[in-house]
Amino acid sequence: MSCGKPIAHLWEEFNKRVNEGEEVKKVLDDLGLERFCCRTVFISHVDLIDEVAKFKKS
Amino acid sequence: MEMKKLSMDDMKGSFLVKGTTAWYLNTLRRLIINNVPTLAIEDVTFIENSSALYDEIIAHRLGLVPLVTDETYVDQEKCKCKGAGCAHCTLQFTLNKIGPCTVYAEDLVSKDPKVKAVYPKMPIVKLLEGQSLKIEAVAVMSHGKDHIKHTPGLFYYQQYPTFKIKEHKNAKKCVDVCPKKILELKGNKLKVVDETKCNLCMACVDECPEAIEVKGSETDFIVNVESWGQLTVKQILTEAVRVFDDELDDLAQEVNKIK
Repeated sequence: MSCGKPIAHLWEEFNKRVNEGEEVKKVLDDLGLERFCCRTVFISHVDLIDEVAKFKKS
Repeated sequence: MEMKKLSMDDMKGSFLVKGTTAWYLNTLRRLIINNVPTLAIEDVTFIENSSALYDEIIAHRLGLVPLVTDETYVDQEKCKCKGAGCAHCTLQFTLNKIGPCTVYAEDLVSKDPKVKAVYPKMPIVKLLEGQSLKIEAVAVMSHGKDHIKHTPGLFYYQQYPTFKIKEHKNAKKCVDVCPKKILELKGNKLKVVDETKCNLCMACVDECPEAIEVKGSETDFIVNVESWGQLTVKQILTEAVRVFDDELDDLAQEVNKIK
């Protein structure tokens, strides 16, 4: 985000572990995301691709 | 100048640099952001894209994928081809996927086996049944001045803290208030446990100014370098210095031309 750190590859693991009921703080710490800007991205992201993919592009 | 390693691996480094100035380190920081060349995808040709995302979005996402950069590639600006694009400064990629699946960065296949995505599991797009993605892409060796995707990492520094502990009676408060927990009370005396962890927040000075004084050094700095994966920390630093060297050589030549 602000500094340019690549974090995309961590999203699927984060999502999986949080859905399995792990504590968000613990997962973020495990993934090595120290700065609050990295953490915000993960906490606030809503994955919409599954919804959007059903519709046709015009 | 004296440089001491505090910790370092390929992705992250922390150093104590003594006898330098903030503006010298800032020059180095700006060189790393702007002038160290790395490979990144620049042009994408779509042969087929029936995914949910538009061509432009996918092209943008591909551009931001960090690629392991082989140092044999030359910055396109300084390449013999003069920016036209040749085998020394560009590299072809192909990607061919049919849904249902998730397209990852690892699906990008390059013509040079040494160059691949740094993080294989970066999702590009999700494909449903019947959707497919077929593209050709060209990666270019360029620098951060051109586009932020070429920036190889993050460089930041802070002044080295110096502590002055004075005669005091009630210093318990400033031990508690330190967010990094680097202060300790030994008997009645205040002690600093790990001064490299101090981030000069001055909370302790605000709490008990009569007990402690903290000052950032003007000549000593703690320097942190983080790599985004294209180059190692050491490569980033040496490359930045090399680029700086080249620029100074250019300047010296120009100065010599003046009569």
